[in-house]
Amino acid sequence: MMNYFPDEVLEHVFDFVTSHRDRNAVSLVCKLWYRVERYSRQRVFIGNCYAISPERLIARFPGVKSLTLKGKPHFADFNLVPQDWGGYVQPWIEALARSRIGLEELRLKRMVVSDESLDVLSRSFTNFKSLVLVSCEGFTTDGLAAIAANCRFLRELDLQENEIEEKKNHWLGCFPDSCTSLVSLNFACLKEINLAALERLVARNPNLKSLKLNRAVPLEALQRILMRAPQLVDLGTGSFVLDRDSDDSETYRKLRTTILKCRSIRNLSGFLEVAPHCLPAIYPICVNLTYLNLSYAAGIHGSELIKLIRLCGKLQRLWILDCIGDKGLEIVASTCKDLQELRVFPSDPFGAGHDAVTETGLVAISSGCPKLNSLLYFCQQMTNAALIAVAKNCPNFIRFRLCILDPTKPDPVTMQPLDEGFGAIVQSSKRLRRLSLSGLLTDRVFLYIGMYAEQLEMLSIAFAGESDKGMLYVLNGCKKLRKLEIRDSPFGDMALLRDVGKYETMRSLWMSSCDVTLGGCKTLAKKMPRLNVEIINENDQMEFAPEDSQKVEKMYLYRTLVGPRKDAPEFVWTLV
Amino acid sequence: MELQLALALPVHSSVKGFDLNDGGIESKEPVASQLWSYGGSLESKKCLKNKRSSEEAFGKMGGGVPQIFPLMVWSGQPNEEDDRKGQNRKTSSIVNKNEVEENHVVGWPPIKSWMKKQLHQQQQQQHQGGRVKNDGVAERSGGRNSLYVKVKMEGQAIARKIDLRLFHSYQALTNTLISMFEKEQKFDKNGVNYTLTYQDKEGDWLLAGDVPWQTFIESVQRLGILRNGG
Repeated sequence: MMNYFPDEVLEHVFDFVTSHRDRNAVSLVCKLWYRVERYSRQRVFIGNCYAISPERLIARFPGVKSLTLKGKPHFADFNLVPQDWGGYVQPWIEALARSRIGLEELRLKRMVVSDESLDVLSRSFTNFKSLVLVSCEGFTTDGLAAIAANCRFLRELDLQENEIEEKKNHWLGCFPDSCTSLVSLNFACLKEINLAALERLVARNPNLKSLKLNRAVPLEALQRILMRAPQLVDLGTGSFVLDRDSDDSETYRKLRTTILKCRSIRNLSGFLEVAPHCLPAIYPICVNLTYLNLSYAAGIHGSELIKLIRLCGKLQRLWILDCIGDKGLEIVASTCKDLQELRVFPSDPFGAGHDAVTETGLVAISSGCPKLNSLLYFCQQMTNAALIAVAKNCPNFIRFRLCILDPTKPDPVTMQPLDEGFGAIVQSSKRLRRLSLSGLLTDRVFLYIGMYAEQLEMLSIAFAGESDKGMLYVLNGCKKLRKLEIRDSPFGDMALLRDVGKYETMRSLWMSSCDVTLGGCKTLAKKMPRLNVEIINENDQMEFAPEDSQKVEKMYLYRTLVGPRKDAPEFVWTLV
Repeated sequence: MELQLALALPVHSSVKGFDLNDGGIESKEPVASQLWSYGGSLESKKCLKNKRSSEEAFGKMGGGVPQIFPLMVWSGQPNEEDDRKGQNRKTSSIVNKNEVEENHVVGWPPIKSWMKKQLHQQQQQQHQGGRVKNDGVAERSGGRNSLYVKVKMEGQAIARKIDLRLFHSYQALTNTLISMFEKEQKFDKNGVNYTLTYQDKEGDWLLAGDVPWQTFIESVQRLGILRNGG
């Protein structure tokens, strides 16, 4: 029936299909739909930059305007991937620049970006509007200067947790006076900034909705900036410190008055440096907040946090440090009835914090906040009883990540593994897509995961399991699994090789400090030519021909349509 | 020239151009707890079971490969009994307040390095009270792509600087240090042993080679090379 419609009609219908997955599904229906879909696709998401080449992207989607690329494996965030592993954006930018693609948006995560790439990017696409860099590295503020100077219609420059070398240039001053289109600016990860240029920039960009400052912006400057931008929806403060002397009380008063005018602020973050006695300045806007991120605010103690939280009745997302304590979490539970996402980070990752949180805090949250669907919780300990209670109270988890700081710690009350607790979570949350495990765990937890976690897409395993059976339960049971990352667990060749076809249904598999051997990896690589099986070899063993029976320290494999990558460093071996 | 720079390295590491004095080394069974390439000595019972035995890992690699031993363990050569005692002590808890053991397991807890840095900076500020200008540490400089630290050899007046980002392992570092200082120094005919040490971010001087490379990189402030007896 659809064949009788002209292509334009099909295209118009497809315009309403926006999610990547749905569009991918549309393209598989028939050749006609594939053709119409590919010409009309504007947003492309590539979860692994080595799965495909820029040339093939350009050939298939000539109309692409927005590209998202991810590079290094997730465990690179925790220093498990050596420098110079790869993930370079340069070939992508060069290929796109050579083509006639009208790129408008580029979003990169865990990639290596150079100043040259940024320069080429800034000069090659006249309508370029949005650059989002998350956990990237390899560039300096010179690259940012090029973006500022050359992208005439820039709307968004969002730098999240990147490693940027800061030169003595004033890159922010490179935005021309004619730049008035900014909607979102985030430079929180930088150490310095040119304050005068910043204030002028904010003054001439009336559409600015999201602004995240860095530590170099003092409170006085924040006040002036907020005067110019009371329309902000999203604010990341810089330094939130004033000394307690009389000169600054005037500044503080002005700040309070100015903040009262900022009725649109819904998301608040920053506080990279904070003096608790300044906090009352933000009390008036707390009632409107839906997102509050205090995960860098180590200077705020439990009692002050509680005073603040009590005012935030509409919170949906809260990111906080564990110095809030179990008592503080109880206050969150009684105040934030709409809470959907909670992240509790450790303020002292290597010590045994007195104010740290335990299972008590989590249970309190689960009973007070039944809408909770996303959790990241670093804690000192957890019990099966608590997890079972949480599972019962909150059956809507999409993301559940628990990190017990001592990674093989059992239930301290029963001394049992936490299999039953996690089992309860996966059984009750039928829509669970992401899970991270910790604590003492046997193969049993994987049996439960394989049985119940039908929607699971990403699983992170550390120091868990007893035998190959554990990994097999997961590979067999989780039909929607896309990313599996395992460290320090006793899974070996038998599990790795049982179902080699499975890996083509997934994006990637990471295994480090497990029991897989070089021989096992070679066998897998030989059987599956459309996988890149990479071994990361950090010891200087290049002169030796390692034995097949030797265990592999780090293996990363991923499906790909373009064969072994040509930019692998000498310490990465791609097996064939 | 007979310069040996010994670290607590796994026995099978490359020794070409490193051990210049074959005659002085005796063959001995390496100790399992020195396997820092395993991501740190995680000592819980669970993981002891998972650790490969030294024989499994190295047994077949033996044959003709000279083995280097940690020359700088103060009380002399380590033996298996001593290290097993050490392992038992650590069985109960991985989280250990002893600062030298901080960061013993690479990548655990799983916190982004950016966040760790922020929290660490803030902790430092809290200890010093009030606002502190973060002018960095003079000895350790460079951006993401370079990490210059000073290297001072005992007995030499002038320190050198070296970019640690050029290396991925202790082996590569010591090779370069040897060639760097070889030119400057005259050696005894019998050979002199040196020990590589480093100052971490807490200011403590530690023996290089005990922690995984990545951990070392994050906390090293400067390097020192000490003479041992010949």
